Amino acid sequence: MNYPLWFLPQLGGGLLIAIIAVLHVVISHLAVGGGLFLVLTERKAVLTKNNALLEYVRNHTWFFLLLTMVFGGISGVGIWFIIALVNPAATSSLIHTFVFGWAIEWVFFLGEIVALLIYHYRFGKMDPKSHMTLGWLYFIFAWLSLFAINGILGFMLTPGKWIETGSFWHGFLNPSFLPSLIFRTCISLIFAGIFGLVTGAWLKDSEMRRTVFRLCARWMYIPLAVLVLTGIYYTRVISAESFANLFHFNRESTPFIILIIVSSILLFGLGLFTLVKSSQRIQKIGALVLVLISFGWMGGFEYMREIARKPYVLYGHMYSTGITPAQMEAVNNEGFLHIAKWSEVKALNDTNLLEAGSEIFRLQCMSCHTINGYNGVLNKSDQLTERGLEAMLTGMGKVNSYMPPFAGTSDEKRAVAAYIYRELQGKTTLPDVAFEPDTLLLDIPHFDPDSDDYVLLVWNDLGMHCISDNEKYFSFLPPANTFNAQLFIRGPLPKLVSSGITMEYAVEEGFQHPEYHSMFWDYDEAIFGADLPEGTGLMGKGVNGSMESHGAVFAAHLIPVVPYMDNKTYNPYPVFTITAKDKSTGDVLAVTKAVAPTSTEMGCRNCHEGGWARTDISGMADLTAINILAVHDRFNGTTLLEDAENGEPRLCQSCHADPALMATGKPDVLNFSSAIHGFHANYLSGMDQEACNMCHPSREEGNTNCFRGRHTQVGVGCTECHGALEDHALGLLANQTGIEASTRLSRGLEPVYAYSKEEIKPRMPWHMEPDCRSCHTNFNIFEDGFTGTAFNSWVPGKEALYRNRTDNHGVMCIACHGSTHAVYGAYNKYGLQRDNQQPLQYQGLAGTIGTHGQCMVCHTIEMSSSGHHRNMLNRDPLPMLVE
Amino acid sequence: MYDSIIPTADTIPVHWLWFQVLLILTFFIHMILMNFLLGGSLLTVWDYFTGKLEKKTSGSIPTLVALTVNFGVPPLLFVQVLYGHLFYSSSVMLAVPWILVVPILILAYYGAYIFVKRADKFPVLSKAALVFTSLSLLYIAFVFVNNNTLAIQPDRWGIYFKNPGGWNLNLGEPTLWPRYLHFLLSALGIGALGRAIFYRFSKMKDKEKETQIKRNLKIFAWITVIQFAVGTWFWLTMPKPVWLTFMGGSFFATAMMVTGWLLALLILHSAFTGRLTTAMILGGLEVLVMVIVRDLARLAYLKEVFRPSQLENVSEFSPLVVFLLVFVVGLLAIYYMIRLISKSKTPQS
Repeated sequence: MNYPLWFLPQLGGGLLIAIIAVLHVVISHLAVGGGLFLVLTERKAVLTKNNALLEYVRNHTWFFLLLTMVFGGISGVGIWFIIALVNPAATSSLIHTFVFGWAIEWVFFLGEIVALLIYHYRFGKMDPKSHMTLGWLYFIFAWLSLFAINGILGFMLTPGKWIETGSFWHGFLNPSFLPSLIFRTCISLIFAGIFGLVTGAWLKDSEMRRTVFRLCARWMYIPLAVLVLTGIYYTRVISAESFANLFHFNRESTPFIILIIVSSILLFGLGLFTLVKSSQRIQKIGALVLVLISFGWMGGFEYMREIARKPYVLYGHMYSTGITPAQMEAVNNEGFLHIAKWSEVKALNDTNLLEAGSEIFRLQCMSCHTINGYNGVLNKSDQLTERGLEAMLTGMGKVNSYMPPFAGTSDEKRAVAAYIYRELQGKTTLPDVAFEPDTLLLDIPHFDPDSDDYVLLVWNDLGMHCISDNEKYFSFLPPANTFNAQLFIRGPLPKLVSSGITMEYAVEEGFQHPEYHSMFWDYDEAIFGADLPEGTGLMGKGVNGSMESHGAVFAAHLIPVVPYMDNKTYNPYPVFTITAKDKSTGDVLAVTKAVAPTSTEMGCRNCHEGGWARTDISGMADLTAINILAVHDRFNGTTLLEDAENGEPRLCQSCHADPALMATGKPDVLNFSSAIHGFHANYLSGMDQEACNMCHPSREEGNTNCFRGRHTQVGVGCTECHGALEDHALGLLANQTGIEASTRLSRGLEPVYAYSKEEIKPRMPWHMEPDCRSCHTNFNIFEDGFTGTAFNSWVPGKEALYRNRTDNHGVMCIACHGSTHAVYGAYNKYGLQRDNQQPLQYQGLAGTIGTHGQCMVCHTIEMSSSGHHRNMLNRDPLPMLVE
Repeated sequence: MYDSIIPTADTIPVHWLWFQVLLILTFFIHMILMNFLLGGSLLTVWDYFTGKLEKKTSGSIPTLVALTVNFGVPPLLFVQVLYGHLFYSSSVMLAVPWILVVPILILAYYGAYIFVKRADKFPVLSKAALVFTSLSLLYIAFVFVNNNTLAIQPDRWGIYFKNPGGWNLNLGEPTLWPRYLHFLLSALGIGALGRAIFYRFSKMKDKEKETQIKRNLKIFAWITVIQFAVGTWFWLTMPKPVWLTFMGGSFFATAMMVTGWLLALLILHSAFTGRLTTAMILGGLEVLVMVIVRDLARLAYLKEVFRPSQLENVSEFSPLVVFLLVFVVGLLAIYYMIRLISKSKTPQS
């Protein structure tokens, strides 16, 4: 932001740093341990009067000098050059903070050079004691160089108290100083042994070669134990977040963990050959191979250190974008373009979206990413839509802290997403077109209040219901609608019928064969462990069948109806006809109709790319499902995509508990609602109801518009009851604080409907939902105590849910008021009264059953008291939705 | 426009003058060594091709590389402390030639060793390596001149936007070539002086030694003559406000410039007359004065943009004290090591 960026669209500065750094770091460690190796071997040769060994030391000194002083010395300057080019802000910070640390290191470097040059050029021309004194001085200076650099390197990862004090000494003698110093000293000794083999292998005398190899083996293996112990100590002093970035929740580290493990095994496994008698050719090849492996080994370690430091370049002080956390507020408020010095575009307007996006991308993202090369954005972003990219930018630095947060306004974020998607990916984002289905005709059964003896009320237990209809890859919502029914014998005091009848249901024409349109039955065994007959649901029900009695409520559970008709038409509101018959005579007692909402308008494709699966209207495409699993696997180390492609798709709830499916899940894994809301809330923050619409089929312009109850007509949206997505997620996560992921998912969320996270009451999904009475105090519409939101007023448990509650007479709330999200009078996109058929059938009025004095639907006499709940008669005579 | 793109500078731990003094002193040493190295290499190439190669001086080239690089570190460090925000920006603009300095220097360093160590067995390879090393050093000097001129002229930074890929040499800069030439001639002149000093302490026969000293002092003198012209050219290509600084615009700057001219005249006298010690002292002083003039010119260039005194001092003195202590101990250790050479003559058994 403060500096120009070296534009390397293919190569990337990060790779250049890595190449130079790995080469340098190996040699610079060798320069330390090798110094001790030289002087101790010389001492051994002098004490044992072993001239051959002394000659070996002399030759090795020359090799050592060429490697460490020439390559090591200059490549060290090279690191300085390259970091200043790739991340000038961080380099400047390091230089200014530690200028005298660097200066001290320079003195040691000078001492190293003088000592080594004299040691080399005067080899054999001085008395041994003086010569060895030079060797010791060289080693001391080299180790002191390591001492100085180690302090600054450690600072980058664990700045400790420096963050508060800014003191040189706090930064230098930081928490990882000591473990890092011991760790690196051990590495330097090991490298001394490995590189000692190289000159050793070229010795002519085989016995001498064996002597040198045995000597080098000691250098390789003796420090190993200390190295391992210090390595463990090292991981203890880094922050918990660094540790998590390394070993959990971040797949970027996996290749380097593998690299370290494999190279360690190879290095110290193959290294054993030094103890075995072998030909000179084998010894030469072996020595060179070990040298090569040591570069991989060191590269793995340095990359791990780099990853542990993310998202910072100077931990806690400066993000890898060169922006400091202290600058974020101003950048987010005033705009990145406005504040960034090297931006040609200074503000975003109607005409420069892509240009501005390009500029932000270049100055912010390209400090780590290339376009299509190393760490290229093209590969990493092709699983997301433009909207998904925007969400990804929103979530950066939250769930996975590997990447720093996006710095800029929400418009700038949109500009970057647009640039990546349209300009780099070359894709087009089509504008959302409002879906306008044909109005479907209704055939409402006739009800004669004078002659009919029964009233049958039927409802789907969920007013908003989706199917995740790509079972080839996974499932979390099978085709499963549940109908409940209550049958009343009309009279002055109506009675509920609980026995002696049959309750049959039948789906409307065109929905008879869900098995023709769903993969559910192809994967039922893999996903649900049950080989179901085609067309039969998880509880043995088909789209036609009968309900079972559960006291005064009849129910048919998990009817496998899908929104695809045989004529390929999409219709998420199939109508069922329910018929109550006398069990003994078969006489029809009552007939009514109800809608089974069953949408496949899963919003996953809004972000995860792939488009719609079916006729450009609905359904989850393969690509969307693949992209989702890929993300899940990347974040959680699972193999879901591979498993699915091997014919073993999973039910999400097989790991994530879910009361809705009565799935117990795994104890250390978040329940499904917590996980899916908690994760996505981090990416869809600050969007109010639009966040809900991104996933659920509640969007007004969508192909379902499932949120269709009368609340929508009075300005009550999703968030008035559930809170914003952030609040919703925080409530769910607060109920699972014992699981580590709960902390990770909630830490980046800011409550919207509450002042603090602590205020939000923990909530068990499906069992603890917003209590209608938090607004409808005293069962009225607007009255004292009306808060305008039901958020954070959860019902205490499952029994108290709106869909499970009854009045004092056993009449279920939902029976008269209609399904959740579709309470009477609902507005259905596929025909205004599609959900209101029962109120229209019984009272000709599309509101609550019995509303506005329509007691005679069930009661055969006028009623003067609020028998079911208070205030039920206190309604202004304003009929709703009379047709 | 350029005002808005100049990066914000970081804070410094002690008063800026500390860094200014350290910069001048360490850069002075670096310049002497660099002149010895670059000038020495070029003169050795010349000697090689004219059949006058004298191995005694050429053998020191690899050691000079080591010391020049080492003494290049502190001025590069201190210049980044004072002018880092400008220097990093210009470096990014010519990032490609700038980063290529590193591998080229490594190869040049190896080339110097090949030249020395393979002279007997592979003379052609040795000669080629020397030429390569010399050309590499010329390249490095050229890139440094480009970067340093670009760093002090933020008004030229607009070139970045046309080419953000790091290929922007500062070739349109009027002072570039005279400046480069001025430095090269300095390298040749001081390099020749260095060779004369080297011969003075070598174990050659007195007559041969005297011939070499006089020859090299003469080179130094003639180069100094040319420097009068090139220096003036360089001076006058600078923007008027800058060169006016040295013509009464600033008393100190003018005094330094006049001192430089006077020293050059004295150098001519001492070098043409073969007075090595005087020439050595005068040459050293001249480099020091020119280093100061160079810094004054930088200040004049940046007058409207930035002054090191603007840097915020956060006052943390103890690291400086520790550095000075370490520096003294380091020098003592180096002195001790050099003493060890002279004291210990016994061949190792």
